[in-house]
Amino acid sequence: MDGNGRWAQRRSLPRTAGHRAAETTVIDIIEAARSAGVEWLSLYAFSTENWNRPGSEVDYLMRLVRRVVRKHAPLLLARGIRCRFLGAADPRIPRGLAQDFADLATLTADSRAMTLTVAFDHGGRRDIVEAARSLIRSGTPAEEVTERLFADHLPFPDTPDVDLVIRTSGEQRISNFMLWQVAYAEWVFPEALWPDFRAPDFHACLHTYRRRDRRFGGVPPQTNGDPS
Amino acid sequence: MTTGTTTAADETPLSGTESQFSAFFDDPRWALAMIRATVLEAAHPQIGAALVDNSTFVAHPWRRLRNTFLSMRRMFDADPAVREREAARLNRLHARMSGSDSRGRAYDAMDRGARAWVVATLFESAVTMCRLSGQPLDQDTMERMYAEYRVFLAALDGDAGGLPEDLNDFWRYFDRVVEDELENTEAARVILYRLFDHLPAPALLAGAPTLWAAGRAVVGPLLGAITVASLPEPYRRRAGLPEMPGAPTLMQGAYLAAGLTRFLPEGWINAETIIEALSLSPDSDDPRARTVAALRARMKRASALLRLLTPLGDGTVPDPVPATSRGTGEGRRSAEDFFRQVLDQTGDGHLDWPDLAAMARELATRLDLDEPEETRLYDAFAAWWRELQATLDTDGDGRVSADEYAAAVPTLAGPALIRVAEVLFDATDKDGSGTIDADEHRTLFRTAFQRDLTTTHGTYGRSAFVGDFLSFMSGRRPNTPYDPLLADA
Repeated sequence: MDGNGRWAQRRSLPRTAGHRAAETTVIDIIEAARSAGVEWLSLYAFSTENWNRPGSEVDYLMRLVRRVVRKHAPLLLARGIRCRFLGAADPRIPRGLAQDFADLATLTADSRAMTLTVAFDHGGRRDIVEAARSLIRSGTPAEEVTERLFADHLPFPDTPDVDLVIRTSGEQRISNFMLWQVAYAEWVFPEALWPDFRAPDFHACLHTYRRRDRRFGGVPPQTNGDPS
Repeated sequence: MTTGTTTAADETPLSGTESQFSAFFDDPRWALAMIRATVLEAAHPQIGAALVDNSTFVAHPWRRLRNTFLSMRRMFDADPAVREREAARLNRLHARMSGSDSRGRAYDAMDRGARAWVVATLFESAVTMCRLSGQPLDQDTMERMYAEYRVFLAALDGDAGGLPEDLNDFWRYFDRVVEDELENTEAARVILYRLFDHLPAPALLAGAPTLWAAGRAVVGPLLGAITVASLPEPYRRRAGLPEMPGAPTLMQGAYLAAGLTRFLPEGWINAETIIEALSLSPDSDDPRARTVAALRARMKRASALLRLLTPLGDGTVPDPVPATSRGTGEGRRSAEDFFRQVLDQTGDGHLDWPDLAAMARELATRLDLDEPEETRLYDAFAAWWRELQATLDTDGDGRVSADEYAAAVPTLAGPALIRVAEVLFDATDKDGSGTIDADEHRTLFRTAFQRDLTTTHGTYGRSAFVGDFLSFMSGRRPNTPYDPLLADA
């Protein structure tokens, strides 16, 4: 969800206006993903590094997120979307917001149409460190640690590997996002700023993804000539 | 209840199912009568002092209720061996309770007069409950019942000398005690005015605190008023209890309504089922727990939706406390919570010997320990108490306050606590093999912690057991299997 600030700047609006405009996109994309048959959708809303932004902007974001969560809770429930929040462990998160996160997760826990993971106060490295801690605490011998076992100790271990990452506004960085799960992800970098990003743009990204040839480090099945 | 074969009537009348006493077990009126009897007990200066000092009923009323109920069941068991064993256990338990009250008068739970009074209040409350609900007992039944209660006392005390032999003399004895000995004790006030207002939710309803608090706000004062109105007049006058208009009617109405449940089909109301269901924790292995858990999950979701739909107060949400307990990392339970839920068993805000004795008592009861294991457990707890006192009691008042505890949490797990864990381990390791095998482990968790372990990885070594126990007792880890044992209300 990149480009809110730039979107606002281009219109000579305060940065906060960009965040507010992002709400429409969020709902639009959730709806587009669900109708396109996407079963796992993750949104990167707030990173552990975002705490470094000016205090007033962080405060504004917290209030905005809280309003958005509460406003759309019934819709998310009705659409059968299971919501959960990745990260969200920092004590700086206002108590009311944390309660709303927990409530929304409880409310939609049994929904199965799509799982929406909102990465809020998320850091990919931190998750890996947490998994390592959890492994050590469980007393697993070093030689027994496998990739599969390690993944079981990550937060929300049922999350599958990420297939496609869409990073808006032309930025081409990973920015500490779900580092473990994006190992074999395809990346798309549309130029649109997040508040301008809409369902057709999302479908275009899906289309690009479908044309990609995912090899997972292997060789393409039909090669010209003998690979040996 | 089974309708057993009618054995010869010359058997001791205490035996099981035919006695008047056990006929009341499943009677809803008995719940009201028990509260009344407990107030009368607590009004006795000796018993009141013992209760205030030692009892866990303020902090863990549901556990206490369950223990009392099971103990009564055993005292009236058909098998004399069970009865004798329970009487011996109760005697050991009471022998460990003595001290002095706030005015310096000594009390002793083994005092014969005091114990006779406990039995007297039970008998008198049973008779009164029948009168108040409009179905008085006839003279024969009353005399038979009195004889049963005297046998009960004899089972505890060796003989029933504390109570008059004849029922007529009993009433004189009862009135005399009410008029001359009963006082407005702290324990009686706690039961009448504090217990019901602060009653924690039983395990079953622990997930619905709002619902529980709302119900309690209505029912608590009602129960108080009903109990006060049912107490003997001379005591009400002496203790300065309020006479409220309508209270006698309310009280008689409550007894009458409870009495009407006798028209319900047999087996609808079963005290054991109710008590067991109340102490059902959601993650136990009982099949009923799954139904309860499903129901509770629905309730949780409904209240989550309700909270989300409640309009926010104008966007300017004040955030007074920056959520301290959540952020302290690694799921560490706050020292204050641990102090309140686990350490301060008597709920008086201080940690002293009765708190630790209550833990030892609970463990011994749950593990069904006999001598000499029980004494070893108590000794281990006593040693732990001396260690705690020496390290934590900084102001030297002989007890440890929540602040003193919070200031020194890390030092809690000293060698004496390790000794406690070892004694527990030995009590569980019945075959003395040095490890708790899968069977012993399962038994431990089933009997002591009422929980089925999904992962029984073969054996459980001494050091692993000690480590787990220590990390629980030093408040380091919440939600361990030990929680239901000492933390449940």
